[in-house]
Amino acid sequence: MIVTATSVTRRYGTGEASVDALRGITVGFPAGQFTAIMGPSGSGKSTLMHILAGLDRPSAGSVVVDGTEIAGLDDGALTQLRRDKLGFIFQSFNLLPVLTAEENILLPLSIAGRDPDRAWIDQLIDTVGLRDRLRHRPAELSGGQQQRVAVARALAARPAVVFADEPTGNLDSTTSAEVLRLLRQAADEFGQTIVMVTHDPESAAVADRLIVLRDGLLAEDSAGTAVPATAPAPAGE
Amino acid sequence: MRKVALSGLLARKTRLALTALAVALGVTLISGTYIFTDTINRSFDRIFQVSLEKVDVVLTPDDDLGGEDRTTIPLDRALLRRVRAVPGVATAEGVINDPNGTVLGNDGKPVSKGPPTFIASLEGPAFRALEVVDGRLPRTDGEVILDKGTVDREGFALGREVAIQAAAPKTRLRLVGSTTIAGATSLGGATFAVMTLRDAQRLTGKVGRFDAIDVGAQEGADAGALVRRVKAIAGPGVVVRTGSQQAESQSADIRGGLSILSTALLAFAGISLFVGAFIIFNTFSITVAQRAREFALLRTLGATRRQVLRSVLGEGLTIGVLGSAAGLLLGVAVAKGLKALFSTLGVDLPSSGTVLLTRTVLVSMVVGVLVTLVSCLAPALRATRVPPVAALREGVAMPETRSSRLLTPLALVLTTLGVALLALGLFAGSGTNAALTLVGAGAALAFLGVALLSPRLVPPIAGAVGAPLERAFGLTGRLARENSVRQPGRTATTAAALMIGVALVCFASIFAAGAKQTIAKAVDSGLRGQLIVQNQSGFGAFTAAAGAAVRREPGVAIVSPVRGGQTRVTGVGGKSRLAGIDPASFQRVYHLRVRAGGERAVRDLQDGQVLVTQDFADEHGTRLGSRLRAATPRGRAVTWTVTGIIEDKAGLVGPLVVPNPTLRRAFGVTSDQLTLVAFRPGADPGALKARIDALLARDFPQAEALTAEQFKSAQRDQINQLLGLIYALLALSVIVSLFGIVNTLVLSITERTRELGMLRAIGTSRRQVKRMIRLEAVITALIGGILGLVLGVGLSVLVTRAIDDFNLAFPVPTLIAVLVASGVAGVLAAVLPARRAAGLDVLSALAHD
Ligand SMILES: Nc1ncnc2c1ncn2[C@@H]1O[C@H](COP(=O)(O)OP(=O)(O)O)[C@@H](O)[C@H]1O
Ligand SMILES: [Mg+2]
Repeated sequence: MIVTATSVTRRYGTGEASVDALRGITVGFPAGQFTAIMGPSGSGKSTLMHILAGLDRPSAGSVVVDGTEIAGLDDGALTQLRRDKLGFIFQSFNLLPVLTAEENILLPLSIAGRDPDRAWIDQLIDTVGLRDRLRHRPAELSGGQQQRVAVARALAARPAVVFADEPTGNLDSTTSAEVLRLLRQAADEFGQTIVMVTHDPESAAVADRLIVLRDGLLAEDSAGTAVPATAPAPAGE
Repeated sequence: MRKVALSGLLARKTRLALTALAVALGVTLISGTYIFTDTINRSFDRIFQVSLEKVDVVLTPDDDLGGEDRTTIPLDRALLRRVRAVPGVATAEGVINDPNGTVLGNDGKPVSKGPPTFIASLEGPAFRALEVVDGRLPRTDGEVILDKGTVDREGFALGREVAIQAAAPKTRLRLVGSTTIAGATSLGGATFAVMTLRDAQRLTGKVGRFDAIDVGAQEGADAGALVRRVKAIAGPGVVVRTGSQQAESQSADIRGGLSILSTALLAFAGISLFVGAFIIFNTFSITVAQRAREFALLRTLGATRRQVLRSVLGEGLTIGVLGSAAGLLLGVAVAKGLKALFSTLGVDLPSSGTVLLTRTVLVSMVVGVLVTLVSCLAPALRATRVPPVAALREGVAMPETRSSRLLTPLALVLTTLGVALLALGLFAGSGTNAALTLVGAGAALAFLGVALLSPRLVPPIAGAVGAPLERAFGLTGRLARENSVRQPGRTATTAAALMIGVALVCFASIFAAGAKQTIAKAVDSGLRGQLIVQNQSGFGAFTAAAGAAVRREPGVAIVSPVRGGQTRVTGVGGKSRLAGIDPASFQRVYHLRVRAGGERAVRDLQDGQVLVTQDFADEHGTRLGSRLRAATPRGRAVTWTVTGIIEDKAGLVGPLVVPNPTLRRAFGVTSDQLTLVAFRPGADPGALKARIDALLARDFPQAEALTAEQFKSAQRDQINQLLGLIYALLALSVIVSLFGIVNTLVLSITERTRELGMLRAIGTSRRQVKRMIRLEAVITALIGGILGLVLGVGLSVLVTRAIDDFNLAFPVPTLIAVLVASGVAGVLAAVLPARRAAGLDVLSALAHD
């Protein structure tokens, strides 16, 4: 397993006004698998993903990413983890407008101060089909092109896992299909582990496995294992 | 709509505070200056009133043309006799009140280096205003009472001897008491030594003569009528006033002196407000752009343009009022600070309570609010041009205006106009108020022009500055540079605010370096003697007896006194400095280049003849043989023929030079300003200097003998002190511009919250975020620094062109330091914004819109 969550709960706020976004989720993501997370709005999809990615902390439970328990990590260690092991694709493309497409792709490597593996980057650029757009700035690219840059950026550092939160949410159906095909290709050709939150069943269909959340609980998992709702376990720290 | 404006304000407290501060600091200096000078004026008013309370009429020599050191031609005993005979005069008494004394402290050095020491005679009980605090009044010759301020400062014990020097060599008097006037222990740091009339006359070299005659009227006599009768017998060159008129006139003198200071301080307040205006303009421009959606929404909801305008101006008004009020209050503290500053410089100014006049409140508030409103007018007008439809569109940009296309030509026109005005002020008029105003306005316009031009200059300069940063810091450097040129106008305005302060700092330092070098060169090339004797204070006269004593020292070949007075020359505005020299010896101790009239013009200078400097000649069309009519303090005029035109780079003698006897006879000047000393060949200069030092310390501690090197360094010290003061005042406007950098960064960070969230999400550390913000601030600050440096250099080249014989010198280390300091200032300005940016929560930053 690249990522495992065990009895993860997340409560927002306190007292009367508190919301239990996650109410005890145990799930694992094996290497090379492309997982889609679905569920109604407010069911906790984004919350789960943020916690898996170390962007948010669980109220209780444990999350292990590539062998590291992240529950107790401080900001510096989490930053290092994101830098080394994780890739992100956001709904709004979130590119830096001041950098060119190529610079945006290389951004995670530049941040980490690592030298890019040119062959890998070239392969990525060809895969996302942006070779003739490398010198352009995001403002000069279409939405689909921008999201393809974002995909390439997420893959550039060869992360252990790529998280995508509704990556096609802002795209029309044609460009959506392109981006999904890219993700699929990443999983197939590069063995990339991908966790993607989506609203759209057609998008979810591209994935290897489908997880459905409902009211902060794991409702279905196409991996077959019937997942019973677990009560929040006491924090393992 | 008002609610909208106010809620908008409260939502942005940091920005509100920073923007208000941009106005507040300038206003602080305005109100501080007024409070400071008003408080001092009022204290002095009281002191003079009390000290002249019992005097009905007073006679004084006309001091309009008194020497630069406040010397006047004393009144004589015959006049006192005539006054006593005037009908209506009950009592009349001659008094001494000479400001050129020196009281020596425990260390044998003068107790005061700046403010004067008065040698005064003890008035009779009819006129006496002294209050004895400790001890008693002097009863016999050889006794003295000092002001309590000096006694306390020096820790003098009653009964001990105090050394005092004025015209006579050092004399010891027994200290019998300490005194105050009108309850004031300190009179601007001035020292008062009060003794018997006989002692005072002897010490000041005025035996049988007086500095003033106090008159008491007979019961029921009208003071006004008495003044007229006394005037009739007083003759020319004597001023007759009632006691209260005299108090007013003394107050007016103080006010006049202080007004130079307050004008200078207000000029610095103006600079700081000018800088503040940039900050306010920039802040409003940014927020109006950020709130374009909001304005559009208001418009779709039916708000008129005028309402939008009012809401933005309302915000400006609030900031203006808050900032000005804060500045007004801070001014009280600044006034206290100024007083403290002056007392560390040895000028202990009296103050009785804090004087806050209505004028201070009005000027501070009106100026502060007006500056704010004017600065936010353009952004407010911009806000009204947001079309309602913008509310429905994603990513609205502010409408491009015609004015932005006209910006570059306008900037060029402004810059040119500014430089033209500056040049006009410098070259056409000289030193007059109108000319100075022209120079100021020209500089302001030039600054504005360059500021408007600077959006075009930002990308190249940012590129040049950013390249090394990028090399050193990689991605963070790269992003910092890119971010700084994202909105060149914004960066330009922010940098331009700093540019103004930096330009003026560079200007001042270049100017000072030039002045030092000019003096040094003149001394090096002009001085032929070995020593310059001057007053310990660096200015002011000292007794000619000092020079005479030095002359008697074996090994001394020549002692050549230079004296100073003032005159009014017909056809020349204002007063002119008048120097007296000893023609026979002057050229042997100091080489004055003679441009016309021949080298012998100096040695042959006689009564009735005058030498003028080239500057004076150029300005007033004076030629060899021209005749000048000069007014004397005795109320007469003398005519002199110009026999030589000289060059005086060091300003040693000044525009007009006459022989010393002329200065003594017509102007009553008998003391020396400088005494130049030459040694005999073969004399051991070190040993001789030591003997002269000892001689002066023993008998004439008021004076000191300096070698050329010491003299130059003393001059440098004086210039440096002034320069330090100027730097301190300019620091205020630099601080304002730093707030501008903080403000711009904070606003830009808000705009880029989502980007920062993304950067953090994909692995950027807090330190990297901080560094990125810091480098952006450094780039902005360095743009300001570079523009300021260039402008400062340009300005000083232009200004020094207007001054003849000025050696332009560039203090390269200082200029580099200024540039480095601007970078460091950028780092400082980035502290808060960087912390803010790094502290952003990744998730909420990502969700930010
Ligand atoms: N920062 C937050 N503060 C309070 N409640 C939140 C916060 N984020 C999410 N929630 C709540 O948690 C629940 C799950 O939200 P989310 O994970 O965003 O759902 P989804 O992504 O499935 O739409 C919702 O009820 C939402 O209102
Ligand atoms: Mg969601």
